[in-house]
Amino acid sequence: MKYAGLVLANLGRNKLRSLFTAGAIALAVLLVCLLMTMPAGLDRLISDLGSNTRISVHNKAGLVYSMPQSFTRKVRQLDGVLAAVSMTWFGGAYEEEGKVTFPNFAVEAEHVGSVYPDYVFTPGAVEDFVRHRDGAIVGRKIMRQYGWKVGDRITLRSTVWPANLDLRIVGEIADDNAPMLWINRTYLDETLKAAGRGGLGIAGIIWVRVDRPERVGTLMSEIDEMSRNSESPTASETEKSFISNFFGSLKGFVTIILIVTALVSLCIVFIAANTASMAVRERSGEIAVMKAMGFGRRAIFGTLLAEATLLSSFAGALGVAGAIALTRALKTVATLGPTLGPLGNFTVTNDVVTAGLALSLVVGLLSGLVPALGAARKPVVDALREVF
Amino acid sequence: MAPLRGVRYPLRMPPADPFPGPPPSAPEEATLIDIRHVSRRYRRGVDEVHALEDVSLRISPGRFVAFMGPSGSGKSTLMNLVSGLDRPSEGEVVVAGQSLGDLDEDELAAWRARHVGLIFQFFNLIPVLDARDNVALPLLLTELGKAERHRRAETALRVVGLDHRLDHRPNTLSGGEQQRVAIARAIVTDPDLIVADEPTGDLDAKNAEATLGLLRELTDAFGKTIVMVTHDPRALRFVDEVFHLDKGLLLEGSDAERASEAIRLAAGGHASAGARP
Ligand SMILES: Nc1ncnc2c1ncn2[C@@H]1O[C@H](COP(=O)(O)OP(=O)(O)OP(=O)(O)O)[C@@H](O)[C@H]1O
Ligand SMILES: [Mg+2]
Repeated sequence: MKYAGLVLANLGRNKLRSLFTAGAIALAVLLVCLLMTMPAGLDRLISDLGSNTRISVHNKAGLVYSMPQSFTRKVRQLDGVLAAVSMTWFGGAYEEEGKVTFPNFAVEAEHVGSVYPDYVFTPGAVEDFVRHRDGAIVGRKIMRQYGWKVGDRITLRSTVWPANLDLRIVGEIADDNAPMLWINRTYLDETLKAAGRGGLGIAGIIWVRVDRPERVGTLMSEIDEMSRNSESPTASETEKSFISNFFGSLKGFVTIILIVTALVSLCIVFIAANTASMAVRERSGEIAVMKAMGFGRRAIFGTLLAEATLLSSFAGALGVAGAIALTRALKTVATLGPTLGPLGNFTVTNDVVTAGLALSLVVGLLSGLVPALGAARKPVVDALREVF
Repeated sequence: MAPLRGVRYPLRMPPADPFPGPPPSAPEEATLIDIRHVSRRYRRGVDEVHALEDVSLRISPGRFVAFMGPSGSGKSTLMNLVSGLDRPSEGEVVVAGQSLGDLDEDELAAWRARHVGLIFQFFNLIPVLDARDNVALPLLLTELGKAERHRRAETALRVVGLDHRLDHRPNTLSGGEQQRVAIARAIVTDPDLIVADEPTGDLDAKNAEATLGLLRELTDAFGKTIVMVTHDPRALRFVDEVFHLDKGLLLEGSDAERASEAIRLAAGGHASAGARP
């Protein structure tokens, strides 16, 4: 502790250099903190999107394979299942021939409302959807994109089925996160039968709403167990993990974030080590004299290491504070408009603060280690000879 | 020059021995430094450099002695051995009853802190510390508190006549003043032995004389033993004894007298070695 004055005085010796190094470390720690908020932030984003009582059931072989529609009815009868609806890819193209510009599914009109009680529809939409065979419910994003209004008539040409359906828009899903279009399963089924195709016997995905979140796990295994020995065994997932699968490989993204974080950390170790070794070199005369006076290896090593560690810890604290300020600012921005909403998901948690400070401490120790060790270990006569 | 003879030298005041550990066994004997058949060789690639060959000498306490000789004659090497900065390849160095060969590097460092004050040609003060903190630096190795460290540093600066420059950083002091701060730093721990390697080498004539005078005063007023390496013929007027080195050998008898004579001639006959007994 009595060396504190010496350590501080030495830090202030080349103020500009200390400042630049501190700035580089602070910025890097800030960056690392922001990067570390991302995996958690993405997770939260997905939690917001997914409800925790909805399960998706699909063919174990993959999303492009289907299940028999009869399986939907079996699932519906399970204890704890409030509602279930099957969704089958219609693959309808609008205007442009053969090109699907938005996801559209054939759904069971009478069940869809009870599986998605959390969705906001225009008034009477679900009732009209059940009543009108040719009704369609459309996500708001698509409505806007094509300038449609409730009551408009459109035609979708399927790229999968031999069916071109004339549809009447009966309602809108007032949610930007639901960019899809639903058509009535019965309508498609009857059209196919009329074309001599024997009807729509399959289900693409079955969405199941469970009565209580803690039942989700058991019901998922119950459903998969039920289909295990059938021709199309299923895999159930919570909506959350289904969406993250759908959003591409989130895990890969997180790995990239972690790699970038590690590289940035390594980078600041080098920056700080450079400063530490320059500081030691320009002071080799004084260090030699201090050793000659009787300052032992431990005192020399300790003061030099303390100097590097103090600088980078101070800079690290600044960086962490900067990251907190920045995410706070993003949260404020996020309240300004619904499309900015996701920005509010990134929070510098206590864990991130701890990690940021620990990182800067480690950076200081690592960067100071080699120069301090070199200075401490050099025999005093050699050190003196180099100077005089 | 500060009127030192009247100044009470208050450095060795309670706590009498501020260093941690057992007190030194400072024997009041007639020999402070005893160099016995010391050689020092350096490896330089495949060659061996004989920096010192079989040197023996004794220095009594309270004496101001100089090591003189041509460049490369081994003066600094000998001084490094005397001050415990280096260890001999052969022979024994005993200072204040302590055989330095028995100590490992860390013990040697602790021994230096307690017994030796060092002065260098380039004063090597720490530029970011003011005069007082520079002088107080060696006291960090003691158990003294900050106030006491400062008090002792101020006393040492008073001894060298710089107590009006306490808050000055080295770059605001003249060369002579910096060297006096360095001398204050060397005496602040009240060491038995002060060693100085070319203390006047970087000073003009006036400051060189003042520095030599100050070192003389330290011996006369406080009984300090001083070993100085120098080229400076002026030194002959101030020291008690000169040891002449040449090519790693200590000159004795008529060789030594001839060397002294040569230096006196080089100085234009102004210097008078042996003026002091
Ligand atoms: N660490 C070392 N490695 C190799 N040779 C050394 C080393 N230290 C000293 N020497 C050699 O030992 C000899 C004596 O060196 P020393 O420094 O004692 O001379 P000096 O009398 O102090 O000279 P100067 O007046 O130039 O300072 C020289 O030849 C020098 O080159
Ligand atoms: Mg020398």
